[in-house]
Amino acid sequence: MKKNRLFKLSIVCMTIILLSGCWDIKDINKRTIPLVLGISKEQGGQYKVTLQIPVLKNESQVSKVVTGKGESITSALGKIRTNSENAVDYTQIRLIVVQNNLAHNQKELSAIVKFLMGSEEIPSRSLIAITDENVEDVLSSINDKLGVHASSIYDFFNKGADWAPEIFSTPVWEVYRSLFSSTKDIAVPVIRSGKNTVLIFEGSDILKKGELMDRFRPEEIQLIRVLQNKNEKGKIESLGFASIMVSNSSIRLTPSLKNNKPSLSSNLNIKINVLERNDGVTNKKIIEELERVIEKRFFQVLKRMQESHADIFGFGQEFQQFISYNELKNWRDEYFPELKVNFEVEVNME
Amino acid sequence: MRNKIVKEIEATFSNQGDFFIEEELVDQTKIFLIGFKTLVDLTKSKLYVQQMADSNTSVKALFINLNDRVNVDAKQLIKGILEGNLVIVSEDGKQNAIVNPIVQSLRSSVSEPKNESPIQSSTDAFGDDINTNVGMIRKRLTTASLCHCSYEVGDLEKRKLSMLYIKGRTPNALIDKVDQQLKGIKSDIDTIDDLNLQFGKRRLSPVSHLFATELPISAIHSLKENKIVLFLDNCPFALVFPNLLWDMLVSINDRNFPSILSFMLRFFRVIGLVATLILPALYVALVSVNPEVFKLDLALFVAKSREGIPLTAFLETIAMVVLVDLILEAIVRLPKSVGPAITMVGGIILGQAMVEAKLVSNLLVIVITAVVIASSSVIGMQNSLYIRLLKYPILILASLFGILGVCTGFIFTIIYLASLTSVDIPYMTFRIKKEGATK
Repeated sequence: MKKNRLFKLSIVCMTIILLSGCWDIKDINKRTIPLVLGISKEQGGQYKVTLQIPVLKNESQVSKVVTGKGESITSALGKIRTNSENAVDYTQIRLIVVQNNLAHNQKELSAIVKFLMGSEEIPSRSLIAITDENVEDVLSSINDKLGVHASSIYDFFNKGADWAPEIFSTPVWEVYRSLFSSTKDIAVPVIRSGKNTVLIFEGSDILKKGELMDRFRPEEIQLIRVLQNKNEKGKIESLGFASIMVSNSSIRLTPSLKNNKPSLSSNLNIKINVLERNDGVTNKKIIEELERVIEKRFFQVLKRMQESHADIFGFGQEFQQFISYNELKNWRDEYFPELKVNFEVEVNME
Repeated sequence: MRNKIVKEIEATFSNQGDFFIEEELVDQTKIFLIGFKTLVDLTKSKLYVQQMADSNTSVKALFINLNDRVNVDAKQLIKGILEGNLVIVSEDGKQNAIVNPIVQSLRSSVSEPKNESPIQSSTDAFGDDINTNVGMIRKRLTTASLCHCSYEVGDLEKRKLSMLYIKGRTPNALIDKVDQQLKGIKSDIDTIDDLNLQFGKRRLSPVSHLFATELPISAIHSLKENKIVLFLDNCPFALVFPNLLWDMLVSINDRNFPSILSFMLRFFRVIGLVATLILPALYVALVSVNPEVFKLDLALFVAKSREGIPLTAFLETIAMVVLVDLILEAIVRLPKSVGPAITMVGGIILGQAMVEAKLVSNLLVIVITAVVIASSSVIGMQNSLYIRLLKYPILILASLFGILGVCTGFIFTIIYLASLTSVDIPYMTFRIKKEGATK
């Protein structure tokens, strides 16, 4: 009995020693933790990977920017790893910035997204953004700004509800999902480095299966968010004679299919607060004007989308019960351009 | 001219320095007063015997009036002397008596509890004398169904042991088993642990079968909760059998507050318990093995606070935890006059100097402080000690397997505690069923 016990105990001890791979693990302060990953392509066809890494010791310098080049992203990342002073831990990457020369190439972009999803280290919840500038400049510009800290590029996309509802934050996995979706396209934010602030939000690129279709301004993007049933709370709209703030919004979509012609009636309910108004402007006038502006904006966006066959609103999702799975693959090209939308806006004042 | 019995007693105690045989004349008859000077107050006893002699006409009547235990054999007389009684033997040896003596006062009176600090409660604590202790219970619990069985156990010395329970509440099966185990004691019972071992093997287990409490109120509450209370002579604790997990979290004194407050107190004890077990392990796991769990800002903050620290997280934590446990142990041993000074010096060195010297991170100091305070939030000193012990295996697992190790360690700790039983009652039982109660 006693011998048996000793035997069991020794087996337990041995498994602990043999099964644990963590004995030579690096503590958190012995790791380099990059926050932002920039990807671009050089003239010669080489990939260039840029990392923004916060500097913890030095108070004056916020972060450092490290670059590596290689035939593939993996080899570029490997080179950075080789040349780095510490172990590089990619698990905290929160933002991936892709330069436009790569982003505008459907094949390259899908390959990058597939790589990012497949990579075990880079978290798939990290956000993705596109820039027209040199990635290196965008990432290093943070050091020139006063009073910012290392994580401010990430904070830019996470202002929280009510603060800047037009900013689209798109995680990698959503882009990956949209590569295979036949009824919904995705918007990826476009940024550039600002003069006084770290970043400037320029709008969003619409990607259809990794292909860049169109670019929208921030206020148009706002509408897309609303139609995707994300809250528009906190948005400030200027109507010329009055400024209002949206305090709540909700949307109801009713799809119907007749003779293979899709039509959709949509009721958008918006609650507003009037922030300022000119003398003699009535509530009625504000409401009418706002309804007119939003409707006009919607039909402009819809027209552009129908021309480019990209369903950014995800209207196709509503028709999944009417159209068979095989037919649904033709949604963008056959059904969507034919879609009639009966768009109604109802504005309430609080 | 000494008779046979006196000679026999004298022979037995011939090498005892404090043994005395005094001769006394009562009514022209010689009597012998025999006993230990250290246990019997001789002067007062003499006076007492004289006074009794004056009021009684004959020597025979005197012996009868002195005590019930008259005219016993030599063996019992010797036992009586050992127990600290005064033995009186007449000149011819035909008459003797064991007299409850006027004792030398060796016992301290009822005092305040030393190991527990009850809030809003009576501040009496059990003392050394077993009869006083049982009396304290009897005085507070005046019911005929309170039963008291006494035992004398031990090999070299016979130690008094009392078992108390409430008849009709405590399950008979439990009483029988405890009774058998107490009767079967062969070896000496010097400590609570000696007694503990009699209730089945838990030699390597940190959890005792018995829950020691100093407070009569909590002993009475245990009795009412259908448990058994044991008293050991010269042990100022009521030993509650069986010891359950909830004894660590729930005290009867909580109920002096409104129920929402007592719930809060208990909830905090649970937090304290869990925090003691897993906080140091969690620190090691998060800092060295699984930093990706952190939110971004927290990761940067932790990395910054650990900047330039030469030790690995595991070494750092184990060093601090051991150091703190050493200090806690040392403070108990220190004389009261030096204690505060050492504590202050230790606090300064541990808290500030170590952080400034960049030996440990200030985050760890916060974690350790929290753990030390949290470990004391549970009821009972021995419970606090065993929780402090259980954190080590989890800590080691965490350093090897990270978060996974913390979870497995915690789960295994719970499985282990759940596997413990005392006399077929699981350690994690909520309450013991009343005798005859249906489920």
